[in-house]
Amino acid sequence: MRRARTWTGYLFVAPFLVVFVAMLVVPLAYAAYLSLFKDQLIGGTVFGGLDNYARALTDSRLLDGVWRMARFFLTQVPIMLGLALFFALALDSGVLRLVRLFRLGIYIPYAVPSVVAALMWGYIYGPSFGPLAQLADKLGISSPNLLSGDFALGSLANVVTWEFTGYNMIILYAALRAIPPELYEAAAVDGAGPWRTAWSVKIPAIRSALLLTVIFSLIGSFQLFNEPQLLQRLAPNVIDSSYTPNLYAYSLAFTSQEVNYAAAVSFLIGLVIVIASYTVLLATNRRSKP
Amino acid sequence: MIISKRWLPVLAVLSLGLSACAGSPTTTTTPAAQNAGQADIDKAMTTPTELTFWTWVPQIEKEVALFQKKYPAIKVKVVNAGQGEPQYTKLRTALKAGSGAPDVVQIEFQYIPTFTITGSLLDLRPYGAAALKDKFVDWTWSQVTGDGGEVWAIPQDSGPMGMLYRKDIFDKHGIAVPKTWDEFAAAARKLHAADPGVYLTNLASNQNAVWTGLLWQAGAKPFGTPARDRVTINLNDEHSQKLATYWGGLVKEGVVSTDADFTDQWYQSLNRGKYATWLTAAWAPTFLTTSAKATSGKWRAAPLPQWQAGQQASGNWGGSTSAVTKGTKNPIAAAKFAEFLNTDPESTKMMATQQFLFPPTKALLADPEFVGQKPEFYGGQAVNKEFAAISGTVSTDFQWPPFLDQVVSDWDETVGKALGDKGDVTAALGQWQSRTTTYATNQGFKVESK
Amino acid sequence: MTTITARRRRGNVLTLAMLAFLIYFLMPLFWLFVASTKTTGDLFSSFGLWFADDFSLLSNVRATLTYGDGVYVRWLLNTLLYAVTSAGGAAALAALGGYGFAKYRFRGDRALFGLVLGSIMVPTTALAIPTYLLFSKVGLVNTPWAIILPSLVSPFGLYLMRVYAQDAIPDSLLEAARIDGAGEFGIFFKVVLRLLMPGVVTVLLFTLVATWNNYFLPLIMLNNPSLYPVTVGLASWSSQSAAGGGATGDLLALVVTGSLLSVVPLVAAFLLLQKYWQSGLTTGGVKQ
Repeated sequence: MRRARTWTGYLFVAPFLVVFVAMLVVPLAYAAYLSLFKDQLIGGTVFGGLDNYARALTDSRLLDGVWRMARFFLTQVPIMLGLALFFALALDSGVLRLVRLFRLGIYIPYAVPSVVAALMWGYIYGPSFGPLAQLADKLGISSPNLLSGDFALGSLANVVTWEFTGYNMIILYAALRAIPPELYEAAAVDGAGPWRTAWSVKIPAIRSALLLTVIFSLIGSFQLFNEPQLLQRLAPNVIDSSYTPNLYAYSLAFTSQEVNYAAAVSFLIGLVIVIASYTVLLATNRRSKP
Repeated sequence: MIISKRWLPVLAVLSLGLSACAGSPTTTTTPAAQNAGQADIDKAMTTPTELTFWTWVPQIEKEVALFQKKYPAIKVKVVNAGQGEPQYTKLRTALKAGSGAPDVVQIEFQYIPTFTITGSLLDLRPYGAAALKDKFVDWTWSQVTGDGGEVWAIPQDSGPMGMLYRKDIFDKHGIAVPKTWDEFAAAARKLHAADPGVYLTNLASNQNAVWTGLLWQAGAKPFGTPARDRVTINLNDEHSQKLATYWGGLVKEGVVSTDADFTDQWYQSLNRGKYATWLTAAWAPTFLTTSAKATSGKWRAAPLPQWQAGQQASGNWGGSTSAVTKGTKNPIAAAKFAEFLNTDPESTKMMATQQFLFPPTKALLADPEFVGQKPEFYGGQAVNKEFAAISGTVSTDFQWPPFLDQVVSDWDETVGKALGDKGDVTAALGQWQSRTTTYATNQGFKVESK
Repeated sequence: MTTITARRRRGNVLTLAMLAFLIYFLMPLFWLFVASTKTTGDLFSSFGLWFADDFSLLSNVRATLTYGDGVYVRWLLNTLLYAVTSAGGAAALAALGGYGFAKYRFRGDRALFGLVLGSIMVPTTALAIPTYLLFSKVGLVNTPWAIILPSLVSPFGLYLMRVYAQDAIPDSLLEAARIDGAGEFGIFFKVVLRLLMPGVVTVLLFTLVATWNNYFLPLIMLNNPSLYPVTVGLASWSSQSAAGGGATGDLLALVVTGSLLSVVPLVAAFLLLQKYWQSGLTTGGVKQ
């Protein structure tokens, strides 16, 4: 009986695992294999060992992109998650009116495809005819070109913040709703005000949900592709083909025809994400221990 | 052992992938294929066949219908896989993958070597293409001809460069149409000083094709392929330096703008009259008619300013060809389709007058019905005639590199960036040269430069 | 009394602050709606956040739906097909697998689950390029399968379902069913599935959004515009309107109107299925 049930376990997970292996493990293994070769226009394919990786580690365009995304992660994500947490706490505060309206209104951008979001914001940023420039013009101030070198990363961060704040808010809000009432009672006995309650009861209670949003945002930041790819056309000199590591891997594979090198670069991007995620996990684990 | 059965397809996929990788194509020179005899051709053209044709020419179905009327056995499926680079990306991946590539494909002149280096195009000589030489303007034919005399494609349309200018703005500020680049520079300064909201021209910082066209006009030979595995790269020679000093100077002075072209803002600026000229190609007059409607009647066409007074030289920007892919199962039908599309009198006239493609054929460039058009938009000037004359001044020996995407993307990030940032364009030339050289070396080429 | 007024005042201040944020989140969508009522000419000449004199929404919609032999409608249908099949398949696989991982112990279960979870971090490009090359060997490129098959795997969906199943299915219920002599799969389909439903709907919505918004994968997998999903189609219109060319004409208005139309179905789905995504997300966010 026990044995039979063990096999049943396999049967339940088998369909998922088969697709998982075929669509994830096999391509990944293939990419790993590809990354060990060099394919040249002249000379064809030759085995190169770890040459591609060595090249990637000294490729300033890749490193610049990684560093840009690290900056993006360190600035955009705290703002976005800070906002999401604030909204979630506000929704949960019990004093806010129009809760349903806010919950939906802030969440709606998540339902907008990133392609549409990027096209839309690209237009809104437009110098002279974009609504922002028009507003600035009406107020008599000259608006900067929001897609110029100094502003492009911020403008990109704004698009991402707009898209995903609501999503993170909902995750955090759901977590807040699930806090057991006993925790509040204790705080009420202590006579804690709403801010104190939020800070010392609610936030610690949703720590794991917060961590989840941080990890997801981290993965999202380092994989940024759609938004910069679509805004590229509007700011070709600023958002170049190596603006984000993912964009770089794409252009290596499809423009430069360096599929093998692109595979190595993709692997390294994955590695950066894994390392960064574990760093976040370790850092929070250590802090939570008394 | 259910699991292992489920694994089978996966393993099959895996092993296929691996073997495909190992046996990557390293095609060398094309073996001179047997000439197709008339009997073979007749047979091929009457056998039921389906061809796939990738193109971004809108409504080309009309010309395709002419072909199908003449050869009812052959069905042509038209697919728009994107315009320019997106299409090449798809084409290249399909070629690499060995499936999904079209039989006939629209390729711009400058991209032909990029696809011949990978052995992806079919030499059309065995199908009678060599005999078409005299129908086409010399420089367009030399663009489709390989180093070994191969005919890689049939020219479809062309873009000899000239200058469209705003007569009203010129008149208002008393500016004569500049005949030389010196006069052009003086006019740029004068105009911008008189009206700071207007620039004599916009040299788009994202448009490598214009830069290359101007190089072409200046007589530069930035690229050459002395042998299949050798390439010459001269992006920093005296012609380029001359160009960089000239344009870099005007841009730094702030009398010429460098907005990215074909963006919403650029269209706006054309309509608002921010640019008094557009250094552009023969297809532009029609293009402008629809995209700058507000300025109808104000534009005129003239040749590009020259480096030496009295000289007549131009370059090319844009224009396409029809090429046949090496992997096609129906080479004869495909080659004959490419030929028909671009040489049949009715088909070519249709392209010139309905799709407004600027023709590369001598016949149309002399056809009064085409060159005699006097559009209102240009105040009744016979602009096609103007550009037909310019077409005869394009030099025939300009060559493209076998990895154009890379060269263009490197330009964007060096010279283009310097133009956009009002930076040091001359220094950027050096970066362009070194980045392109590094890429070529990595790709196994022996690189030579002056 | 004072605390109540203080509370109310606090509520007012907070509500006002939230309203300011709400404007930020809704402004682009309002712009999109306003813009799709304009002609291309008015898009450039009139104030972006208010209507122009001509109200051309209907003619824009008509133009969008009929341009190029109605290719936009085709794109919408493609998107629907890809999204529904992928999301349905992914949710089914995740439900089966999540339940299996939650309620059965078998050799290597922890390692397998860890492997699946770790794969969330794999960048999309790392997968897309080799997947493309492999698919082209077996002739799957440029077919709907090229979009659907890779979207069937949702590691996060599996994770959610496992957490949800652990929580929502009491072991005693399973034991009782077994004592009644029900088979393991019988139990799943007759008893468990109903209880898992809110979780399944959540995963369904997740993957629905993911495939609806998918851009990268179809961008490289598909050559034929009649197979495009709406995201790739809109991007191609957008780049065509940029490349101009005499015959393309007023594509910009179509891009804007097409964007608006593409947003409507998902927004509607979210409004209708509110109850589910909220309850389902509770699981994923809290219980780890």
